Amino acid sequence: MASMEKRLQKELQALLRDPPLGVTVDSDKTSRSLSEWTVDLEGAPGTLYQGEKFQLAFKFGPRYPFESPQVIFTGSNIPVHPHVYSNGHICLSILTDDWSPALSVQSVCLSIVSMLSSCKEKKRPPDNSIYVKTCSKNPKNTKWWYHDDTV
Amino acid sequence: MASRVTSDSPNSDASGSASQDHEKEDSKNFECNICLDTARDAVVSMCGHLFCWPCLHQWLETRPTRQVCPVCKAGISKDKVIPLYGRGSTDQQDPREKLPPRPPGQRAEPENTGPFPGFGFGDGGFQMSFGIGAFPFTFFASTFNFGNDGRPAPPQAGSPQHADEQFLSQVFLFMAVFFIIWLMLA
Ligand SMILES: [Zn+2]
Ligand SMILES: [Zn+2]
Repeated sequence: MASMEKRLQKELQALLRDPPLGVTVDSDKTSRSLSEWTVDLEGAPGTLYQGEKFQLAFKFGPRYPFESPQVIFTGSNIPVHPHVYSNGHICLSILTDDWSPALSVQSVCLSIVSMLSSCKEKKRPPDNSIYVKTCSKNPKNTKWWYHDDTV
Repeated sequence: MASRVTSDSPNSDASGSASQDHEKEDSKNFECNICLDTARDAVVSMCGHLFCWPCLHQWLETRPTRQVCPVCKAGISKDKVIPLYGRGSTDQQDPREKLPPRPPGQRAEPENTGPFPGFGFGDGGFQMSFGIGAFPFTFFASTFNFGNDGRPAPPQAGSPQHADEQFLSQVFLFMAVFFIIWLMLA
């Protein structure tokens, strides 16, 4: 537990000191509890999401960074994307099977920005309506079948 | 929207002198890729990535069936990481007393260049004696293999045993020659 907090503290400091383009930690919400973060994302210029603002909610368990955080889109604007369900759940392999403790909040955010940036057509996943009705609240409980990585 | 809290070490932003930045970069090279702290009980993987042993151990335990390097996804295992001993690390507690134990360093023996170092011509007799086959095989096998591992060193030249062996080898050589001649005549 202590190591999880220590690492999150380090990550938070680094992100506040030196935030990557289009990624801002909402420190008002985050400083209340280190185990839940809110991060603001901006759609990258020159992509379908240019100028749009999104919010990510991170939840960290006591075994972080050995276990992945729970990451979902939250707030009023959920990006319309083939790997993002309308309830905010994200189908991205690094959030479950391909998680590694060398990844971080920053690298997750950058992966999500790049996932958005490479999108060619704004649409929901084909199984969106069924999934949203039947899924668990925690996307980590979903047995994802990962779509191709190119989209 | 989002506001920024000040980080909890107030000097970190204010006093960013060049030398401090440089020092920071330097120490970053020795940060564990998991806890992001300076690596303690450091180990390095074959792919060159640095970790605290406790951190890496916990990761290997997390996914025992798929052990990969957290940084580059190369295969990794307990036996294939190398502990790093910096100067002064001996002052600390014996790492073996810590849990989980850090894997030991491996000392490879220097390789011998010749197969039978220190033996001269006399060996020829031994080798031929195998071909004949009518001799106490085990005795010679054990004399033969001394170069490989922890077996006793060959007898010192001049010792009675050495003389015996030389005598025997000459006997074998003689018998081998005799045997070959006999084969040719027969
Ligand atoms: Zn570590
Ligand atoms: Zn590696």
